[in-house]
Amino acid sequence: MLEIITSILVRTVVAGTPLLLGTLGEVISERAGILNLGVEGMMSLGAATGFIVTFTTGNPWLGLMAATIAGALISVIHAFVTVSLRANQVVSGLALTMLGLGLSGLWGKPYIGRPLTTKMHAIRIPVLSDIPVIGKVLFYQDPYFYLSVALGILVWFLMKHTKVGITVRSVGENPKAAETLGINVARVKYLCVMAGGAFAGMAGAHLSTAYSKSWIEGMTSGRGWIVIALTIFALWEPSRAFVGAYVFGGIFVIQYVLQPLGISPNLLAMLPYATTLGVLLFYGMSKKGKRRMSAPATLGEPYIRGSR
Amino acid sequence: MKKIYALLLALMLASGYLFASGGQDTAAADDQGGEEKVKVGFVYIGPAGDFGWTYAHEQGRLYLEQQLPWVETITVESVPEGDAVRFIDRMVQQQKCDVIFTTSFGYMDDTVQAAAKYPDTTFFHCSGFKRSPNMGTYMGDMYQIYYLNGLISGALTETDKIGYVAAFPIPELFRHMNAFGLGIKEVNPAATVNVKWTYAWYGPDKAREAAEALVSEKCDVLGFTEDTPTVIEVAQEHMEKGDTVYALSHYSPMQAYGEDATITGQLTDWGVIYEQVMKDYKAGKTADLSNYDLLWLMKENAVELGASWDEKINGKYVDALKAKMIDHAEFGNISVYDLVMKRYDQMKQGREVFDPFTGPIYDQNGNMTVAEGEIASIGHLFGEMMYQVDNFATPLPQN
Repeated sequence: MLEIITSILVRTVVAGTPLLLGTLGEVISERAGILNLGVEGMMSLGAATGFIVTFTTGNPWLGLMAATIAGALISVIHAFVTVSLRANQVVSGLALTMLGLGLSGLWGKPYIGRPLTTKMHAIRIPVLSDIPVIGKVLFYQDPYFYLSVALGILVWFLMKHTKVGITVRSVGENPKAAETLGINVARVKYLCVMAGGAFAGMAGAHLSTAYSKSWIEGMTSGRGWIVIALTIFALWEPSRAFVGAYVFGGIFVIQYVLQPLGISPNLLAMLPYATTLGVLLFYGMSKKGKRRMSAPATLGEPYIRGSR
Repeated sequence: MKKIYALLLALMLASGYLFASGGQDTAAADDQGGEEKVKVGFVYIGPAGDFGWTYAHEQGRLYLEQQLPWVETITVESVPEGDAVRFIDRMVQQQKCDVIFTTSFGYMDDTVQAAAKYPDTTFFHCSGFKRSPNMGTYMGDMYQIYYLNGLISGALTETDKIGYVAAFPIPELFRHMNAFGLGIKEVNPAATVNVKWTYAWYGPDKAREAAEALVSEKCDVLGFTEDTPTVIEVAQEHMEKGDTVYALSHYSPMQAYGEDATITGQLTDWGVIYEQVMKDYKAGKTADLSNYDLLWLMKENAVELGASWDEKINGKYVDALKAKMIDHAEFGNISVYDLVMKRYDQMKQGREVFDPFTGPIYDQNGNMTVAEGEIASIGHLFGEMMYQVDNFATPLPQN
């Protein structure tokens, strides 16, 4: 029994890692007022790039770097279209998803059926990893897990406690006021979208070089969309992104453990979505929650410089 | 804001269809001159690059184009089951396909519908059991290979728990899993089969978690029906960590994904099947397809034992299987390796020589489903088999 519980927790953390990375990125982007529905595409591109670079160089860290850069680069398209051209963010994001999925499918084609010889190996932290249950869950994971936790804390700190965070949030809440303070709104938006892309690229690289060690078309399998749901679930707070990512990861994992109990698999597969609805309902009904539930004020709206 | 999310939801739903319709026209542009070409459309359930089921069909399609120069093909990937008619409409009306192959069980009713709608087009549905004058069926079925896999798995398991990651509860899956279970039972009556259902043909993440759950429950051999090499990867990762977990390759040669973990597997050569169907079409044998069911088994060389086309059993485990002796009702004291090869030769000669589904066969509730000495009919195997044999530990899935 203990073994099964340990396994559930270990898998939860693994399944939650790409979700956490993606959600952190989307939180940054949406906090600056840019809704980016292209996560699925950026993630997929990251997965393909990460895989191809790892495959050719034999170094998964280079793969991670390449994926991060690829994610950031492709997101520039979204930033250009929505910030500079002030086009509809929903349409641009969806286009980005299709572009990313298409490009990754095209570039990845020669690599189908060729697994990596070296993948990102789990790092065992001495002493701590010997603690029963927790040791295996928290201190014997692949580097992406540690990276995602570190980045999560960093993003939370930046957003909550530094001027950078205030700048980003003010751009999303009231760009006009931000501009009067001398903030270059367009630049902040660009950088935030690119940060979002970089995070999504990392999440993709996790899928193709650590979670699995092969490139398969469509391997992101809807995680990009879950990330967008999670961003709402997290109420645009990096700290809640942790809760959301691991809850979703856990629910995903536990479906298969609960199956022998005779619970309908279809019902279990529904759990992540039912949970999101539940959370939104819960916050929607409480007064305090309602205030917190509001999205960044100008999310999805183009900002025209100097407009009133 | 509310408007945006409403729009977003609508678009997210719509995008599912858009992705699915990313058709691909692989027909050659310079098809003028020479004899008239036959245009063949393939409807795929997943991406052609899944390195599993659809990949195997894609290889078959390429082989077909290469073998029969008068055939030109188009494909459409990732077509959702239950919504295939729209895609078939396009293949018939826009692309003017003469022949359409629908390559997943779930397209069965859609294909029936489309065949009624387009009486001048010829349809072939893979793995189903419904036919009409212009709709035939074909299948390269691997249940015999699954049985051989079962013999090997039953011999190698140490925990006496064998795991299976299954897609959907349909006769095809039960036929394969039951053949697997019967093989296991023949060499190791104490071992049980434990099944996790993913409800997805293509679902690498689902298959991964299902496989991990099985390993945590102490299953040490994993078989699967899912369209990617994910389960092999999981087993290989556990092997590298020092646990013993074996896996069986499925549809495509997946040994490269788990050099240590893969014992053997099932391979299908769709190319020869497609070639035969198209030759029959050309020869005019397909005027009435009501009874056209091209079911190819080991005898017709459509299916093969192995995780690569080069060897039937991973060389690393051949010695262990040769050393493993059992007392067999038919062959006396025999090594599992010899037993596998004997059965292999028998099944190559045809169903009447030996078939894994020879009674008595009992389901989980103890009901006899195939009587003593009888060989299960094709109808029973392909249309009626909705039960698990008596060495399955997990119940039938609830709905």
